[in-house]
Amino acid sequence: MPKDYPSMAPTWQRMQHVFRDTFDDETLDLHPETTAGGVEGWDSLTHIDLIVALEREFKIKFTTAEVTRLKNVGELAALIDKKLPVRP
Amino acid sequence: MNFVAPIFLLFLAACTVLNRMCPARFRAAFLLAVSYAFYCTWSVGAAAVLALLTFAAFRTALAGERARAAGSSAARWIGPAAVVLLAAYLAAFKIALLTPAHGIAGLAMPLGISYYTFRLISYILDVHWGKLPAETSLLNFAAYVAFFPQILAGPIQRPGDFLAQLPPKPASAGAGWARIGLGLAKKLFIADNLGPAVNFVYAHVSSLHGAPLWLAFYLYPLQLYADFSGLTDIALGAGRLFGIEGPENFNRPFTASNISDFWRRWHMSLTNWLGDYVFVPLRMATRQAGNWGLAASITINMVAIGLWHGLSAGYLVFGLLHSAFLVTDALTGRRRCRFFKAHPAWDGPGRWLGWFLTFHAVALAMVFFRAPALGAAAALLAGLWSAAPVSSLAAAGFEPRNLHLLALGIAGYALLEAGERWRPDLPLAGLRHCGVRWVRWSFYSAAALLTAFGLALMLVYGTAAPAPFIYAIF
Repeated sequence: MPKDYPSMAPTWQRMQHVFRDTFDDETLDLHPETTAGGVEGWDSLTHIDLIVALEREFKIKFTTAEVTRLKNVGELAALIDKKLPVRP
Repeated sequence: MNFVAPIFLLFLAACTVLNRMCPARFRAAFLLAVSYAFYCTWSVGAAAVLALLTFAAFRTALAGERARAAGSSAARWIGPAAVVLLAAYLAAFKIALLTPAHGIAGLAMPLGISYYTFRLISYILDVHWGKLPAETSLLNFAAYVAFFPQILAGPIQRPGDFLAQLPPKPASAGAGWARIGLGLAKKLFIADNLGPAVNFVYAHVSSLHGAPLWLAFYLYPLQLYADFSGLTDIALGAGRLFGIEGPENFNRPFTASNISDFWRRWHMSLTNWLGDYVFVPLRMATRQAGNWGLAASITINMVAIGLWHGLSAGYLVFGLLHSAFLVTDALTGRRRCRFFKAHPAWDGPGRWLGWFLTFHAVALAMVFFRAPALGAAAALLAGLWSAAPVSSLAAAGFEPRNLHLLALGIAGYALLEAGERWRPDLPLAGLRHCGVRWVRWSFYSAAALLTAFGLALMLVYGTAAPAPFIYAIF
């Protein structure tokens, strides 16, 4: 878990779980600056599998524009956090 | 102007000198002027249309951005409407090619239309999706759309990537010319020496069987790769002469060990483009439809790649075959991955088998890409397995001189593959940065001698009249 995202700790752990499941790699460690190029098998095909898995996990919906704008995992985490209902 | 014509090389040399003399703040304007001069040598009318489309796209993106800032509902349709119009413009010319008169009201297909409409569409969509702010300098934007090294045959550079490089850095002329030299060698030495044999076999498909057909089956992918990657090398090298780095188009495609890996290495700028602007939106729209949605998105995407080359049955079959390969790959990928993780001993043989199958699948689809008609493709594939006695090329009337050139082309190809395998570790490249003057100058003179020797070889052993680039017609 990155120290720049302490408030996102639960989001980050759930994201990491979804990533490991999608890419079938139990050793995968996410960093905010991780990009598609840095993960084996992350192409436009698996990208949408990942998006669908994240939508299911967090019960949220992404738009095409949001999905194409993302630059790295940090931005993805920030976007998910923005979409989650505010915690008490 | 053809990219291998001496006049084009002289034009580039003149541009290199002028670009160096040009003050940095005028370099984008200089680039624009040179690009339009290049385009006007082909057709002034088509250059005017290009200018008009550029201006329209520039204003549309600004209008769309303003509408979004004002919260107006127009923001939702301005971008997509412009994309539909641009796609219709491209499709109209592709459809017109099918008519006997060739062209709309006597207008020929504008040079590089497939490439510049794709650049305009990606710009409009990037701004529409908020990925990129609308460009405020018409000059910079026009220089991007008309950038002459990439207008004939790509690579298709994204607007954000290009515009971020303006005003251009000082040019790296040495690196540029080295890349152009590599491209010329691939084209004149390899592709054009493999070409005559492939052309001969495809022109005599019905009277040949066995070995010569296998020869064409294996050689055409190599010819197409040498030809198209050579063209890309010249485009990237010419870009460097102006301080612009373009995107790579190939990454040793025939080393791929599965079909999706192949498409990550072949014509990458087009595949990535369609991936971002066709596949991802389609896949997002069909993501609840499970495997059917996946298969439909892949099929539409690959058929679009096929038909982008032209509206013909051969390109359609090419697209459909690749969709079938990719759907199979996508649906079995997870299972294969698990199998190889559980059986590591099979990993090596599996990789080799994957490589073998991938190359043959690619070569099979390319038969439909190359053959003049579906009938000829079918005849070639049937003839491969014909039990009739082996027919020889020479007996069918193939010139012996061309057989020697073919051997030269194959040797050149082997050299190319070896070079791409080991080039990154080339120890000589470091000498350039050596501080000792005599070492540096020995390096320069050796490079100059080798270049002169290579050019002389190309003139003697290259084909007398270079064939047009295969990808320059799309």
